[in-house]
Amino acid sequence: MKNLIRKIKGRTNLMIGGIIAAIVVVMAVFAPFLAPYHPVNDANLMFSEEPPGDPFWMGTDQQGRDILSRVIYGARISLAVGLICQILNTSIGVILGLTAGFFGKWWDDLVMGLTNIMLSIPPLIFALAIMAILGPGLVNVFLALGLTNWSFSCRITRSQVLFTRGLDYVKAAKALGYGRIRIMFTQILPNIVGPILVVATLGVADAILLEAALSFLGLGTQPPTPSWGGMLSSAREQLFTAPWISIFPGLAIFITVLGLNLFGDGLRDILDPHTTRSGKA
Amino acid sequence: MFAYAVRRILQFIPTILAISLIMFMLLNVLPGNAAMMAMDSRKAKDPEMIEQLKKRWGLDKPLYVRYLLYLKDLAHGDLGRSFIRGDEVGALVAARIWPTLKLAFTAMAIAVILGIPLGFFSALKQGTWLDTASMVGAVSGVSVPQFWLGLLLMYFFAVQFRLLPPSGYGDGDIAHLILPSVTLGVGYTALLARTTRAAVIEVLNTDYIRTARAKGLSELLINRKHVLRNTLILVMTTAGLQFGFLIGQTVIVEKLFSWPGLGSLLVDSIFMRDIPVTQGCILVIISVFLLVNLAVDLLYAFVDPRIEYS
Amino acid sequence: MRKWMVWMVVCTAFLAFSPSVSIGAEPRSGGALNFMAPYGGDVMTLDSQRTNRVQDYLIAMNIHRALFKWDAEKNRPVLDLAESMEAADDGVTYTFTFYDNIKFHNGRPFTVDDVIWSYERIMRPEGEISPGMRWIGNIKGADAFGKGEADSIEGLRKIDDLTLRITLKDPVNIAYALYDSSLPILPKEEVEKMGREFGNHPVGLGPFKFDSWTKGSEVVLVKNPDYFEKGRPYLDKVVYRIMPEGAARDLAFRAKDLDATIVGSTQYPGYKNDPEISKNMIEVAEMFTRLMGFHPDYEPFSNKKVRQAINYAINDKLIIEKLLKEKAFNAVGFLPTTSPAFDETAEPYGYDPEKAKQLMKEAGYEDGFEFEAIGTTNEAWGTPVLEALIPFLREINVTIKPVQVEGALLGERVDEKNDFQAFIWSYESGPDPLAALKRWHSGTPANAGNSVVYSNPEYDKLLDQAARTRDEAEKMELLKKADRIFQDDAPIWFFNYNKAIMAHQPWVHGLQPVAVEMMYQDMTNVWVDETSPRAKKK
Repeated sequence: MKNLIRKIKGRTNLMIGGIIAAIVVVMAVFAPFLAPYHPVNDANLMFSEEPPGDPFWMGTDQQGRDILSRVIYGARISLAVGLICQILNTSIGVILGLTAGFFGKWWDDLVMGLTNIMLSIPPLIFALAIMAILGPGLVNVFLALGLTNWSFSCRITRSQVLFTRGLDYVKAAKALGYGRIRIMFTQILPNIVGPILVVATLGVADAILLEAALSFLGLGTQPPTPSWGGMLSSAREQLFTAPWISIFPGLAIFITVLGLNLFGDGLRDILDPHTTRSGKA
Repeated sequence: MFAYAVRRILQFIPTILAISLIMFMLLNVLPGNAAMMAMDSRKAKDPEMIEQLKKRWGLDKPLYVRYLLYLKDLAHGDLGRSFIRGDEVGALVAARIWPTLKLAFTAMAIAVILGIPLGFFSALKQGTWLDTASMVGAVSGVSVPQFWLGLLLMYFFAVQFRLLPPSGYGDGDIAHLILPSVTLGVGYTALLARTTRAAVIEVLNTDYIRTARAKGLSELLINRKHVLRNTLILVMTTAGLQFGFLIGQTVIVEKLFSWPGLGSLLVDSIFMRDIPVTQGCILVIISVFLLVNLAVDLLYAFVDPRIEYS
Repeated sequence: MRKWMVWMVVCTAFLAFSPSVSIGAEPRSGGALNFMAPYGGDVMTLDSQRTNRVQDYLIAMNIHRALFKWDAEKNRPVLDLAESMEAADDGVTYTFTFYDNIKFHNGRPFTVDDVIWSYERIMRPEGEISPGMRWIGNIKGADAFGKGEADSIEGLRKIDDLTLRITLKDPVNIAYALYDSSLPILPKEEVEKMGREFGNHPVGLGPFKFDSWTKGSEVVLVKNPDYFEKGRPYLDKVVYRIMPEGAARDLAFRAKDLDATIVGSTQYPGYKNDPEISKNMIEVAEMFTRLMGFHPDYEPFSNKKVRQAINYAINDKLIIEKLLKEKAFNAVGFLPTTSPAFDETAEPYGYDPEKAKQLMKEAGYEDGFEFEAIGTTNEAWGTPVLEALIPFLREINVTIKPVQVEGALLGERVDEKNDFQAFIWSYESGPDPLAALKRWHSGTPANAGNSVVYSNPEYDKLLDQAARTRDEAEKMELLKKADRIFQDDAPIWFFNYNKAIMAHQPWVHGLQPVAVEMMYQDMTNVWVDETSPRAKKK
């Protein structure tokens, strides 16, 4: 434990990233207490496009809504997009990877085939097709992004399983008569937590950016949901006439994604010095 | 090696077939249809004509029949005909491949030239503030939504400084290529820098580098010979796999910059529900991806003569 | 021969031989113009008979020519290829005499046979898109030809190579019936030679020849030196940039890479306040009506009072001022201010929350209800507007749930399946007021345009009467009355008529305020002076 703390202390990227991530989480959790206004209901066209000042510190948007409040509530949406998509991706990837590595044979071939297929379809394009079918909306974004990015965690899990399987203590566990499932959970899973955590952290950042990209194409979350990507994309034509409408959500995305990336890199340095695959996809 | 390449290409076929099936099903359950889109919906329209168009395009046939017909054409090398445009999909797609490849490879070149040295540098200075600073710099690039970055670049380089054309393809000249490829390349640079850094750190920790150090070879020589070669293999693998990411992002960049590539064709045809064109684009994009990865595999042999293909 | 026909002949002759461009400097020949094609998606085809999309027409209209064209100054269609048109007293027979110096871009002289062949091609589309059927169907015997019951169109008679007699089915206004963008005259030999490729290499009669097309990026047209109007066009080259992204257009215009741009509401205030740009802006009330349609099958919307209450509850003026930045005209009825049948005396609903509450009470919906409204991302007639309605409708206890959909899905749900509670969209409401109001005739099926399934026998009667009336003034009176009834029934929320705005560089001259669609810029009379950076470009 002491060792771990010492490790963390030496990592500036981990510290910076961790602090940023913590701030975003706090914003998301305490949004109703932090935001001065309601992000949707407190709209008043009389105050549309007010530049930053008092009482709107970040100004107001086209609809006369407080941007600060929308940015704060936006943390909820962005984190939800990132986390739920990554939980989906990771669960699919880990389950497929574990079972493929363990059972082998035709199942392994099938899973690896599927992984290769998923790797060859650019995620944005796959997400685009799914969003076009389901239509814009928060839950649909979860699905579209949660189903497209699991191949990396699947491959990592599988290779770790194959590697671990040959290790002495796993052989010993087998000799002791432990069932496959039990070995999976007690011996292998703890060993792959590190790399998976790294991939997942970076994946959260990716999901936030992908949501912004989908918003640009008109296939993101539904208005009036205060998603950062949606806010940024709907104000893109006013980037130079009313810059505050897009700059603040843009900065929010930038800082959050930057923080998550630094955090992920830092995690990799301490948890997983042997994995070189980046989680970016 | 030739035999290896041929075998790999043959292996593409089932992958491509599977993807074509998945995409065919997805595209055909999309709500809305090309016949409606062909008519401007702001105008009054003739429902009978819409029905006729659907019939002509085979949209009234059951899904499996449509898929079989599609496969039959595909076997003859025929990608079909666009619903709305007059064009053969093959010709339409072929005209758009080069602009996309040009964009993607330029972006890749920018990323390789900037990203790999940056990653190397960072790894050698691992844990110092220089490491953090260069990584923050690299990661910043990947942290900005691309359309936003593109608009900012347009604003500064085309409107403020008047150095470059804001958008369009021009005569295919370099001036028009710079802004879109930088927009596309920035994220990829970050990716490569980060991958390189991790790879170098890993290689530096391996036994034979430690041995080399013990033998007293100068640090510089070690870096050059061993680290470089071993890192390159790891970086190349990632670069190849991430090429799909790059191609996916062309969708945004091409839309923004009016770039006549596959990405914008794909988006337009998805929104227009022009299924044959969408299918064609996806097939080509995936084939390009698979070929790039094959090329990466073959390149291993040059980087590392120990690898043999049997 | 009736008086207005004589007048029309005189006007066309005048138009053909005099520059109708801005007074002042002498028009200058030469130079290139960088224009844009701003609407969604790519350009699909330049064969205007085989498309129904504005994005295609706005380019192809400068390659092709038809019997009539839109005159932006007179705000109505005028003769184009013909030097005169004689109307018989029966109101259905017209004799066209064409200019004798008209040539296709391939050098072949134009004859009346080309008109006949083109109209026949429109009526027999062989399963392809052919929106022109709707218009050519006005000619006697065209429908029978289309169905294969006749070998030729009865109402088209060739007198000689340059004289054509057209007989209509009913006494409708022939200029409106035959001016649509989908009715260009094409050269038979080229179309037959190239087949579907014709749409990629169009040959026409227009002031510009097709030069090149980089799909997804730009279309280049070059001057037709043999154009039948002497001394036209002025420009050597017109480049249409395909730029659906508004922000990119704005930047390209500011970088002076575009010579003109269509201005969206978000850019409007910035352009208006710019001392340089504001000097060179063209505005027009476009013939598009933005509205929210209510489906009568959704219980609350079956009640006229509820629909009226919504119209009273919304402060359209404030939305237009703040959200659309004044880039719209407050709607009164369905017909826009530029329509010949616009009723100057009519009053808009106006913002009256008290009256709205009163009506809701009378309708028994005091406690309100909830409804879902679909729309695209469009800034002026999409979900941003629906979002702005939230606070206004909350005042009458109505909860609106905006649902953002793609254009394709909106088309399917509104037009094809007629499955929605409410939708927001923009409908063509001109140029012919009769055709525009026909949309809401109970005889028009929902999938042909009557999306809100409007049905009022009184309204139908007025429209049918107007269709039979040959006296223009009387016809307009009937149509005004019909629009008033429609307004009172409130099957839609009357939002606005578009104010279309085009900004151009100071060196561009001759762009016009085109009320049917601002992007339909006829480049025949457009020119650039020496200050253009592209003044000498070939």
